[in-house]
Amino acid sequence: MTAPSLAAAPPALTGRRNLEGNEACALGAIRAGCRFFAGYPITPSSEVAETMARELPKVGGTFIQMEDEIASMGAVIGASMGGVTAMTATSGPGFSLKQENLGYACGAEIPCVIVNVMRGGPSTGMPTRPAQGDILQARWGTHGDHAVIVLAPASVGEAYSETIRAVELSETLRVPVVVLLDEVIGHLTETVDLGAVPETPGIARPFATGPREGFLPYAETADLVPPMPRPGDGYRSHCTGLTHGPDGFPTQNPAVAAAALTRTTDKLVLHRARIESWREQATEDADLLIVAIGISARAARQAVKDLRAEGLKVGLFRPVTLWPFPETPLREAVAAAGTRKVLVPEMNQGQLVLEVERVLAGRAEVAGLSRIDGETLTPDEIAGAAREALK
Amino acid sequence: MKDTKTESAASFDVNDYLRQDRMPHFLCPGCGHGIALRALLWAVHEQGIPKDRLAVVSGIGCSGRLSAYIDANTFHTTHGRPLTFATGLKLARPDLHVIVITGDGDCLAIGGNHLIHACRRNLDITCVMLNNEIYGMTGGQVSPMTAEGRFTTTTPEGNTEPNFDACALAAAAGASFVGREVTAQVLALKTLLGQAIAHEGFSFVEVLSDCTEIYGRKNDLGASPEMMLAKKSAMRPYAYRNTVDVPFRPNALRTGVLTRTDRPEYGAAWRAMAARIRNEEH
Amino acid sequence: MDKRNRTTNVLIVGVGGQGVIMVSKVLAQLCQEAGHDVKQSEVHGMAKRGGGVFSHVRFGAKVWSPTIPEGEVDILVALEWAEGLRWIRHLKPETGTFIADCQKIVPPFACRSRKRGAEPAYAPQTPEEIIDQVHAGYVMDATGLAANLGNARAANTVLLGALSTALDFPEEAWAQVIAATVPPKSVQINARAFAEGRAWALGGTKRIDVTASGLQKSRAEVHHPQVETVVEITADWCKGCDICVKSCPERCLRLNDQLKAELALPDLCTGCQLCSWLCPDMAISVTNTPVQEAAS
Repeated sequence: MTAPSLAAAPPALTGRRNLEGNEACALGAIRAGCRFFAGYPITPSSEVAETMARELPKVGGTFIQMEDEIASMGAVIGASMGGVTAMTATSGPGFSLKQENLGYACGAEIPCVIVNVMRGGPSTGMPTRPAQGDILQARWGTHGDHAVIVLAPASVGEAYSETIRAVELSETLRVPVVVLLDEVIGHLTETVDLGAVPETPGIARPFATGPREGFLPYAETADLVPPMPRPGDGYRSHCTGLTHGPDGFPTQNPAVAAAALTRTTDKLVLHRARIESWREQATEDADLLIVAIGISARAARQAVKDLRAEGLKVGLFRPVTLWPFPETPLREAVAAAGTRKVLVPEMNQGQLVLEVERVLAGRAEVAGLSRIDGETLTPDEIAGAAREALK
Repeated sequence: MKDTKTESAASFDVNDYLRQDRMPHFLCPGCGHGIALRALLWAVHEQGIPKDRLAVVSGIGCSGRLSAYIDANTFHTTHGRPLTFATGLKLARPDLHVIVITGDGDCLAIGGNHLIHACRRNLDITCVMLNNEIYGMTGGQVSPMTAEGRFTTTTPEGNTEPNFDACALAAAAGASFVGREVTAQVLALKTLLGQAIAHEGFSFVEVLSDCTEIYGRKNDLGASPEMMLAKKSAMRPYAYRNTVDVPFRPNALRTGVLTRTDRPEYGAAWRAMAARIRNEEH
Repeated sequence: MDKRNRTTNVLIVGVGGQGVIMVSKVLAQLCQEAGHDVKQSEVHGMAKRGGGVFSHVRFGAKVWSPTIPEGEVDILVALEWAEGLRWIRHLKPETGTFIADCQKIVPPFACRSRKRGAEPAYAPQTPEEIIDQVHAGYVMDATGLAANLGNARAANTVLLGALSTALDFPEEAWAQVIAATVPPKSVQINARAFAEGRAWALGGTKRIDVTASGLQKSRAEVHHPQVETVVEITADWCKGCDICVKSCPERCLRLNDQLKAELALPDLCTGCQLCSWLCPDMAISVTNTPVQEAAS
């Protein structure tokens, strides 16, 4: 018996459809080849699991609702170690529970996608209200130094296409990818033209194919992504969360440990061009630049239109890849326009603004705009803060 | 009569299943885990499982380190979570034989929730819990299997908590195969593990192992041979069932196969349902 | 050497479970009682076996940093041979003293080949090569000495005896601190182990006294009327737990002076294989081959 094929072709998703953000996430993942989902119910992400439970059996995939968030993360990593593309979805408190096993996936370089639909926190917080409080949890939630990619869609269409991209980056770079939605995007229904999403080339994880004798599961390859041994293919290798050398076995040799750990972070630097994604609106001559993600960026887009109508030179820079932060593009946008001021509206007490301050480091004056009451930032609020800043 | 000396035993060489370059293993002198590992590999051999099709998933602790010595597809996962990784692996790859090696702390404390749900779900995984009644790797702290009154580094005046009956717990949670054996009865242990591997569904085997270096010394239980043999004499073999209601020691634990039921295996049931859905679609 | 201004640096290394911490505790206590300022810092924890453990002990009039810079170690005490070699570059090149047990605990990472019977790439240097590189060096079979006294675990105290010859503390002070540190029931054996180690090291500034090393595998053939039994014991895997010795129905096994199992009375062996089944270290292999009847 050989490894099961990745089963039936994904459903033909073409044409215009009304989709909810969470549903789009699930369908995007299936389109990209995801054939395993393990999850646990949590508002406001449960629709991702519900869609997966409905759709995965149709394409030969497997859905399982595990006993808790920790277990669902473990099962996703287990399935991925078996060579099958896997995903889970959760919200803030569940994301916290997944962090331990997420660290394992970072350390052992197991591809997996984690959807986190952000809600008001901390703790149970305001489970049905939107927030953007997990921006730093998504980057630094697990323990130790680690590499992780975080994508932040701002529309239902993007929830679909960015989840496809999440699977692609995760599989080809062997790195966990977080899709960070906020409650508004997750529960928003929009008309999406699925046919407009470009057909992705076959998303292929690099599986080991060479000789079995002397095989090194974590060899340093030119692209820094070691081909992954698939159980049953005869490599019989070891996989551990302990810091390991190229042979996959634990090491305490400082040189080997340092090389192994830096490779996993260097990997993202090497492939930065593929990972980075951002959108700019009216940035060419912006005196003031707004930097925002998710639903806050949509409010900001309206604010930019309104302010431009008043004759104020305001632009929007929206990171789609949130981590690693597109720092060079932001610096270039600011430099090209001679931007003096930067405004960072976000639904937390100031997380993204810290990164923007770090990236710009005095190149422009950076100010934040917070809202943490369970309501979204409005275009008027953002426009008001922008006018104030430009005075 | 089958002569074990010259036939089956001779054909099994533990070295065929060990990663030679990893040996000697890191376990302390006299650690029962080594005996259990050998018995497990022997059972794998007798079940005719090819090494390429064998996946061993382990957690954290002394038991967790054992996977690294097995020449198979081995996964050393996080503390308490090997059953969750194994669940994903087995569902994604039903063609693999998945064996979980875990310890009493790993399986019953931090991983207790995963155990009961794995028992309930009845996915075809063999869970081998090496019970040495202590957290050995971290230096000898009390575990959910530490007997009352025992001394550990976190119960310096003696343990005041009762311990689990792990097999009763697994059976109550719905495990379709539950067994227990001591390391001293190697042949019985090997046979039990073989039955567990052959069982279709979730099988749980508690191996009563010995931590001689820490637990034995702290509780003055004697050296390795004494500890091992004491366990053997405290057991109540399965064959006693329904013959001797009150054995020589009323609290003696039963050994052998304790529960075996025939109920649908989760993975097969899921795949059958998925196939039905696909047929209805077309 | 002006002791009032100078800090003396002692580095003690080994693997988990050997007693590195005990050695450094004794030394630190001794220094403190002698009126020195002492700093001791260590790495241990999840290193019950197989993991490296080291402890820095620094003493003098005033000690600032808790760790010893590379190349500043006055005395390196190694409870395990390869750990000693790993740290030897930390010794002061001109004046450093190297004290090591020749005992080898082959770590699981010492071999790169998957082939059966491959030689581990474990510390190939001979004690002679190492001693040549240092100012003063002692390589001894501390574990063997301690085993002869009745408890191999006292090897660390044997090394303390050797260490005592390199430092200026009175012999009685060492004895007192050791007696106060070890469990009451092992005070006597530790006193003897200390004395043995000290006497041995006083024999010269460079001294090597080791037993033969290398991946050792013993093989014994036992002839029975119908089967040929071969008992192989891989000494390097055996940890001397005594299980085979006590379980053997024929009582034909024993532990030798290196605490390794050996087939002492091969004529009694029936080839029952119980020893190999029960060996937690998988160090024993018993094979039974039927004797071919001569063609008549």
